[in-house]
Amino acid sequence: METAFADTTDLRVWDLPVRALHWLLVIGISVCWWTGINNELEYHLWSGYAILWIVLMRLYWGLVGSSTARFVNFVRGPKAILDYASTLHRRETPHSHGHNALGAISIVVMLGLVLAVVILGLFAVDVDGLHSGPLSSYISFKQGRHIAHLHYYWFNILIWVIALHLAAVIFYFIYKRRNLIGPMIHGKRPPDAGDVAETEMEGAPLWRFVIGAVVVTAIVYAVSIAFYF
Amino acid sequence: MSVLSFRCVAAAACVALGVAILKAAAGPAEVAQIKPRQDKFRDIGGALKAINDELKKGRIDWDNTVVPNAQTIKDRSAYLLNWFPKGSGPEAGVKTYALPSIWQKNEDFVKLGKAAQDEAAKLNQVALSKNGNALKTEVDAMGKACKACHDSYRSGDYEKEDED
Repeated sequence: METAFADTTDLRVWDLPVRALHWLLVIGISVCWWTGINNELEYHLWSGYAILWIVLMRLYWGLVGSSTARFVNFVRGPKAILDYASTLHRRETPHSHGHNALGAISIVVMLGLVLAVVILGLFAVDVDGLHSGPLSSYISFKQGRHIAHLHYYWFNILIWVIALHLAAVIFYFIYKRRNLIGPMIHGKRPPDAGDVAETEMEGAPLWRFVIGAVVVTAIVYAVSIAFYF
Repeated sequence: MSVLSFRCVAAAACVALGVAILKAAAGPAEVAQIKPRQDKFRDIGGALKAINDELKKGRIDWDNTVVPNAQTIKDRSAYLLNWFPKGSGPEAGVKTYALPSIWQKNEDFVKLGKAAQDEAAKLNQVALSKNGNALKTEVDAMGKACKACHDSYRSGDYEKEDED
């Protein structure tokens, strides 16, 4: 009876904060990309603050959030990564509930790169001297221009990592017949023969998210006014 | 030689001469404008940043920062239309983000340049008046005047390469 039940019910895999932060980040990076390329720096600043908020929230949720959101549950050592990588060519492999060992690397690299690009942006100086990053008042025009170029350079690397992430999603969809996009939208995935009871996602209370949101909003605000209270 | 082929040759000669004259126009004096032009624009950008930084801090140092930097912007920008002689564009062979349209649509370029000079003069007035709110408004207007020209007449490639 227990098995039959598990066979027909979708398993929760991503909670709402993880999904919302993921898609907000997609929107945020798209807006930043467009406004950056088109020199619409007024709006680029706003979308940059939004991304800073999203990334800080995701890092916080990676510490206290739902079981699949937590870094301790998905960041694995080299052995687990190699073991997983060696099964990649097989079309039928059991689901990793949440991030798989290999995908975890790209999550960590992407979050790290986004944070690095945002931090560089905080110090970057606009060539017109108008819409510079908030913290650029602590450095010179020349230093800030240099950082603006690093901001551009590392964003381009981030784009390649995102491309790899998309390629992996397509690979799973076509080769492994596994839709990873649906679960990131509705939060559930179909069950699988290898599933055991403890793979079910464990949620986290809303108040934790609210506390984080308040603190992170305060941090982003303080950064945006360059700590000149 | 038929009339037609003579005309072809004549036309080709005219084009060749035209190209030669254009190339000659990119003489050393014009090319020599490029580097100092970039330096002076950086001075202007740096001065506007310095004023902007004061606005961020919330307590504005008028005498040591805003007034001298507004003066720099006004003084520098007063000459900016002289910095673009024909031949100091991409054809100069020196790295520059100045687009050929500066000379193709020169009337519009000059109009934008003059608008920036007007804003620089206003910014200078506001700096001397020491009115914080007016400064915020005018710094915005100044930046927009800079951007208006940069959006149309500067190559987007400036983002890609680092400056020295």
